Amino acid sequence: MTTLTLKNVGLSYGSRPALRDVSLVVPSGSLVAILGPSGCGKTSLLMALAGLVPIDAGTITVGSRELSSPGHRIPPEHRGIGWVPQAASLFPHLSVGDNIGFGLPRGTRRNDRVEELAQLVGLAGFGGRSPGQLSGGQAQRVALARALAPSPDVLLLDEPFGALDSVLRHSLARDVARILREQDTTAILVTHDREEALDLADFVAVMDQGRIVQVGTPREIYESPATPWVASFVGDIVELTGVWRDDALDCQQCGAKELCAPGATRLGCSGHVECALGNVAATSQVGEPTDGETVRVVLRPEWLVPASSGIPATVKTVAYAGHDALVEFELPEQGDLVRARIAAPFLPAVGQSFHLALRHPALVFPAIAPEPALA
Amino acid sequence: MSTTPPAVPLTLSGAHPAIRDKMPRPSRPPVWLVIGAVLVIIAVSVPLVYLGVRVSDLSLEAVWTIVQRPRVVALVLNTIGLASSVTLTTVVLGTAIAALLTRLRLPARRALLLASALPLAVPSYLASYGWLVVIPSLSGFFPSYLLLSAVTIPYVILPVAAALRGTSADGEAIARTLGLGPIAAFRSVTWPQVRPAAIAGGLLVFLYTLSDFGLVAMLRYQTLTWGVQQAYSASFDRSQAAVLAMLLVVIAVVVVSAERTARGQVNTTQATHLPLEDARIPLRLAALALIGAPVILGVVIPLVGLGVRLAQAETLRALDYPGLLAATGSTIGVAVAAAGVALLFALPLAALAARYSSRFVGVLESLGYLSNALPGIVVGLSLVFFSLAVVPSLYQTVIMLVFAYAVLFMPKALGTARSSIEAVSPELVGVARTLGATAFGAWWRVTVPLALPGLGIGALLVAITTMKELPATLLLSPIGFDTLATELWSKTVASEFGAAAPYAAVLVLVAAIPAMILSGVRSVAKEEM
Repeated sequence: MTTLTLKNVGLSYGSRPALRDVSLVVPSGSLVAILGPSGCGKTSLLMALAGLVPIDAGTITVGSRELSSPGHRIPPEHRGIGWVPQAASLFPHLSVGDNIGFGLPRGTRRNDRVEELAQLVGLAGFGGRSPGQLSGGQAQRVALARALAPSPDVLLLDEPFGALDSVLRHSLARDVARILREQDTTAILVTHDREEALDLADFVAVMDQGRIVQVGTPREIYESPATPWVASFVGDIVELTGVWRDDALDCQQCGAKELCAPGATRLGCSGHVECALGNVAATSQVGEPTDGETVRVVLRPEWLVPASSGIPATVKTVAYAGHDALVEFELPEQGDLVRARIAAPFLPAVGQSFHLALRHPALVFPAIAPEPALA
Repeated sequence: MSTTPPAVPLTLSGAHPAIRDKMPRPSRPPVWLVIGAVLVIIAVSVPLVYLGVRVSDLSLEAVWTIVQRPRVVALVLNTIGLASSVTLTTVVLGTAIAALLTRLRLPARRALLLASALPLAVPSYLASYGWLVVIPSLSGFFPSYLLLSAVTIPYVILPVAAALRGTSADGEAIARTLGLGPIAAFRSVTWPQVRPAAIAGGLLVFLYTLSDFGLVAMLRYQTLTWGVQQAYSASFDRSQAAVLAMLLVVIAVVVVSAERTARGQVNTTQATHLPLEDARIPLRLAALALIGAPVILGVVIPLVGLGVRLAQAETLRALDYPGLLAATGSTIGVAVAAAGVALLFALPLAALAARYSSRFVGVLESLGYLSNALPGIVVGLSLVFFSLAVVPSLYQTVIMLVFAYAVLFMPKALGTARSSIEAVSPELVGVARTLGATAFGAWWRVTVPLALPGLGIGALLVAITTMKELPATLLLSPIGFDTLATELWSKTVASEFGAAAPYAAVLVLVAAIPAMILSGVRSVAKEEM
């Protein structure tokens, strides 16, 4: 088994902490995406995993073998951890074949294994070329084959598609994820691209300021974010203030009733909030608010839909994006503005009035409590 | 000559998307590397330290008596006067030439820029020899001043031209739209941006003039280097030579530290290029004359003089083939040995400076560049003292001579070695490690092959410079051991211009031509030569 386990890992450069109390389990054969903004510690995490920097606290283990702990570090060459760096970083003085074979024992360097790997990444017959003759996507494929050659227990991918244009990026990313699954490789993909993370990974770990803020499946991360910061980092949000009510809403009044299983609160609403959108079904993400407490209400724009009943709203602006549009609505009374994502081609015009319904319980967070992730 | 680059702040994960190498540098260098670097610093500090020891042996009054002698005062004034006037001239005219070369539409601009670097390849004493062949009576301040200015002006032209190419011409254009004339716009907008380059170039010129021996000696203008040589060879009391050498060091140190404070920092902006300026024909001709003058004075006339003398029948008849062959062999031999030793000295320092940044490493690296400020004659003299007092068995041996070259020219290998090791991305080394290579394996299979061209160029620079070296060679070479440079010198001061010609010609062939080829190699900082 090649389950990778990080326990309370800490790492700092001088007085600057880069990783704080990071714990993460990457199950054998799975692909976990580490998602976070620039400077959140993603690359430091990879360097610590690869054994290129020592850690100050905690342990890193693969299976039952301890790779790193304070004062102890198995050197990079004996860890069985492969690395695909951001810029491919092919050895410029070696041919494609020699790059792929770099990590293989001397006797086998130029034979079948190299060709097999070249084939695996779709570059059969490229062995004699020099890295300078490759396109960005091809170079990344070679870097992947090179890292896979010594059959590492765990593979680290450091924003491997970051330098590519968006079309190529998408197809290559899917290709790489397929190859990793076929090889049953345990892999960590570092990225700051939320769509890449949500699309490719089995699990997503969201990092901020050296900490892991939330780990979950892509759906959990997107639909049930642990903090408003995570919610806004992995997608667009609409924010309102509201008052929490402990009693679940009468389902007949709920905008999500068509989507919900009858009689139960399948979408997990544990109460409701009174806000500019009226009384809407809601689920508390942090703690148990008391009845009547003022809370932060967070929703996704695509949860708001035009409906035959609901809150009347007037279209203020339309931001057209082709496949859909972000439509800004003005709500009555307070004049709150909310954005709804409305699928093309039936888009409203500015000035039109609609009824808006919510087809997913709103997410509720404490109103002014400090975010634990930012402590 | 290079100076220590500022310590690069540690860049962690993706502080800026354009930063490709996100590998944090390991903060603690391996012990063996530090020990190696410290040993090298100790070795290259020997001349300066020992000169200090020799001078401190004298009583304070003794030193004061020597310094007060009218001859010594005259030597100091001559030296400072010559170095200052050459520096001032080259900074002003060199900046002007650089501006003309980068801003004006001129025929064959690329060739002109290459030509303006040519004087660097000609050792100063070769230029003066060529002139003496043409006008044997040449002597004194003015010819020395003119010729040294012509030979050293590329030290200003090249860095200033590079700085001008890197500065945005937008600012100047905006200043013009705000009502400034072209010269006022250049002075108020562009000059502040190229000033550090011009001042750094001026420092190189000053140090070159300060340490020049062959040219001033041939043209009989008495400076400190000449005085050191005279005091060393003409008297049994070598204290005066030591004090004069110390005066040279003091002047160099004062000027280097003054340059450090005067240079200042420049925030570079994205360079944008305006179209080249068109100028009227007379202005263009004047520009061509200014650009061509140093090349004609410093390269063309000396080489023509040499060529004419060489072609004369009596020169060819009197040609001493065995002597010429021996001198050529010795020159190439010591040059190759010096290149090897200098590269060996440079490697631990370069590896340390390229991969680790700390105050300690910065100090070590700066010390490595120390001998850039040391005139060759000072190193030569000090090593004479050192070998006589400490290791008499090495006195007047080739070993001591090669050591002197290595001390003098190690900085030339250090700069290129450092930058070529630094150019090997630490990410590549990291990848090699994760693929199973040990630290040494990664160094051997990745860093060395990638850095090799740069290391080779550094060694070649040392070899070329060694072949041209004169004053330290004169003091340290064993009896009967002649190089091309010493033969050229001794025959010229004896006014045997014809006998000197073949040595000068071979020196041009073995030293200047590779230098010109090297200057075409993109990765070489031309100022290093």
